[in-house]
Amino acid sequence: MAAEISPRIKTELDYAGAERLTMNMGPQHPSAHGVFRAILTLEGETVVEVDAVIGYLHRCHEKLAETLAYVQYPSIASKTDYVAAMTSEHAYVMAAERIAKIDVPRRADYLRVLVAELQRVASHCLWLGTWCMDMGGALGGGATIFLYCIRERELVLDLFEKLTGARLLYGFHQVGGVRYDVPAGFAADCRQTIDLIEARLLEYEAMLEDNTFFLMRTRGVGVISRELAQEVGISGPLLRASGVDFDLRRDLPYSVYPDFQFKVPVETDGDCLARYTVRMVEFRESISIVRQILDGLPEGPISSRPGVKAVAQVRVPKGETYTRVEGPRGEVGCYLIADGGPRPYRMKWRGASFSNLAVLPFIIPGHSVADVVAIMGSVDPVFGEVDR
Amino acid sequence: MSPLPPAAVGTIAGVAVLLGVIGLVTYVTLLERKFAARMQSRVGPYRVGPHGLLQPIADAIKLMMKEDIVPREADKTVFNLAPVIFLIPCLLIFATIPFAPGLGIADLNIGILFFLAVSSMEIVGLFMAGWSSNNKYALLSAMRAVNQIISYDLPFLMAALIPVILAGSLKLGDIAAAQEGLWFIAYPVLGQLGFLAYIVASVAAENRVPFDILEAESELVAGFRVEYSGMKFALIQLGEYAHVLGTSFLGALLFLGAWAGPGPEWLGPVWFILKALLIFLLITWIRWSFIRIRVDQILQISWKLLWPASVILVIATAITVVVRSSNGG
Amino acid sequence: MVANPRARGFLPETWQLVRSVWKAMAISGRNLFRKPVTVHYPEKPRAYPDRYRGLLVLTTDMETGEENCIGCRLCEFVCPPAVIKVEMLKSEKRNYAKTFTLELYACEFCELCVQVCPTDAIVMTKSFDLATTDRRELLLDKDRLHALGFQHEASWATGNRLRDMQAPPKKVVAEKPTEAPVEKAGEA
Repeated sequence: MAAEISPRIKTELDYAGAERLTMNMGPQHPSAHGVFRAILTLEGETVVEVDAVIGYLHRCHEKLAETLAYVQYPSIASKTDYVAAMTSEHAYVMAAERIAKIDVPRRADYLRVLVAELQRVASHCLWLGTWCMDMGGALGGGATIFLYCIRERELVLDLFEKLTGARLLYGFHQVGGVRYDVPAGFAADCRQTIDLIEARLLEYEAMLEDNTFFLMRTRGVGVISRELAQEVGISGPLLRASGVDFDLRRDLPYSVYPDFQFKVPVETDGDCLARYTVRMVEFRESISIVRQILDGLPEGPISSRPGVKAVAQVRVPKGETYTRVEGPRGEVGCYLIADGGPRPYRMKWRGASFSNLAVLPFIIPGHSVADVVAIMGSVDPVFGEVDR
Repeated sequence: MSPLPPAAVGTIAGVAVLLGVIGLVTYVTLLERKFAARMQSRVGPYRVGPHGLLQPIADAIKLMMKEDIVPREADKTVFNLAPVIFLIPCLLIFATIPFAPGLGIADLNIGILFFLAVSSMEIVGLFMAGWSSNNKYALLSAMRAVNQIISYDLPFLMAALIPVILAGSLKLGDIAAAQEGLWFIAYPVLGQLGFLAYIVASVAAENRVPFDILEAESELVAGFRVEYSGMKFALIQLGEYAHVLGTSFLGALLFLGAWAGPGPEWLGPVWFILKALLIFLLITWIRWSFIRIRVDQILQISWKLLWPASVILVIATAITVVVRSSNGG
Repeated sequence: MVANPRARGFLPETWQLVRSVWKAMAISGRNLFRKPVTVHYPEKPRAYPDRYRGLLVLTTDMETGEENCIGCRLCEFVCPPAVIKVEMLKSEKRNYAKTFTLELYACEFCELCVQVCPTDAIVMTKSFDLATTDRRELLLDKDRLHALGFQHEASWATGNRLRDMQAPPKKVVAEKPTEAPVEKAGEA
């Protein structure tokens, strides 16, 4: 399948004859998931070529990391994948800790995994809501599911607000541990929230799982074959929906993930429905991991480099490393080259959505315009990660 | 008081019904917004007037004050005429609906045929709007619209034929009168299935979700209406909601017994309006619960599912009526 | 929970369509009768949690009336977008800040300045009503920051509290080496 449809990218910005129509799903579009430009070449209603243009959200994160110290950058790191901010922060501080061989206290590691899994729940809520809104319309059933999902996401964001004080961009991690400890009553609130979300998940599934309209829109649409998935280098739920059983939390474990039991969902169909199923199972597994953490949170300090006062307090000796974290969208990686000072020499982000978007020119041609939004939604890109 | 000539009576009645319909249509938008909001755990319009009651007026004033933009390359005559040609059939359908026994502008002998024929004419205005906008999105949407509305007007006609066969007349007043004893929706199997087919066909013929691919905001950004702003946009909105309301009224008349209800005679029109609003709320409920499906899937549903089903229903109804009349004498 | 392809055929598929339509409409119908989650702001204020990271202010010591800021410039150095500018004024007993400028329009609200402050001079408050029509109002100088400090309720986090929270738990001295009660800001 990968060999037949080649992703030749031609930019033709005017009418290319009577049969083919060039249509721009421009950077400003209700379902572009951010700022994304797709130049579609249509024959009738079928897309024949896709030219994806990115870069509208480039903010020079990697250069910025060279000018900011290890103490300062974690709160900026949230802004790459702003929907799942904890993941990016985690990758960065893990990289610095690995080079400097800093041990993280167990409580801090448990808190890191707690927020990572809660973040996965919140991010998947947003994914489901925006995907259904793209497919269903801002004035229609999609908006209904969107508002339900956002209602649940708000509960998780309220938890984060109690923990850190911020709802979306946290600055929770620091090199050596975390900055905030859980406040009083947090565990009870957390349990109540995830119980409620688990109950509401059943509602979403009832609205979508057997729904003929939903199945019509997602079954067989945007099929990523197993070979294509491994060739292009996608990761996360997209990979697992195409039959590749790989999850960084289990196969290349980091932090304290070996302490927890969780299932890794794998589907073989590779279409939008399979990606939906994988993410719905991930919802439940994340909730179960959160429960395991709350049951067994160890006592202890929350940072082995506490009380940062000076900006040059944390220095990382010479070395380089690449750390990878399983984010809600896939593998978020941070490649760090340290030179002994308080600032890195070079830092590179591997954005999960950036690599996932590479699969679009292979799977979109052959589908109609309406399917483009369904596929984009199920790939779930966040353009902070793509453009950095 | 000297009796007025019939032409004057007709005109006054027509104007009254027109104003009443327009008023009802504007407030029905508020009803839909509040209903949809409650289904989504929020409150809908709240600030303008007590509980948002003045919101439709505020929207109307806003739309009247907006700048009227005509794209440079658009076909000006067609562009300006299209909303009018879209609106006229949508308002004209109310002429044939009797609001009480004998109280209607023109209770034609072929009432229901007129209704269906005129309501299909809106597609001319729709296509004019999409074509003249000189916009690829609008053109795509207009092409889809022609396909879809034509495909669904046929099952719509068939579903509307079921009460006609049961009542034995095309005149809307007669159909309503024939439901004195038993509303047509209560007929075993045939009534319910007919009502179901009617609702599905009307939702699709009015481009409502789940069949609103032609104005899919997330792909086509308002479809054929995309280049319209200000009062012309208001006319198109008015036409759309008037059409929905018109088919709700027709559905209430065909299946729910029109003005039949407990209480005195003069309460009849009130019951009628309430039943029509009930059907409207049903259509709204459907709208806010489902995602939309692609246009080729919409057409498949029409031709492979709804059209054969409605034809079978019509044949079954005819057989039932013949059998019953030969038995009952 | 995978929606496996159902039995083919006209009737089973139609039945599935009817059932799924009913299920979806039942869920949205059920939500019709739930209480809306809307908070009628601004009539009803929103309850901010203790650690809310809102507007930044400079604090004044309540007993003596002295400013807390000693002009040490640690906040200026740690700020990632470099929005704080401080000039120190030396004096006999203690130092002051001669000028203290905070560019709120570029502030990230990351709370690092609060974390490093040795005297708890700069804190965040539970206010986020920052909208103005003039950008110059968001360039806060020292007087404005102190005035705001009196107007808004401060959040829980101050420099010392944050540093104590991150520090290893203090062991009570002169106690037998049993499970000493630890004093921490958080509990599981």
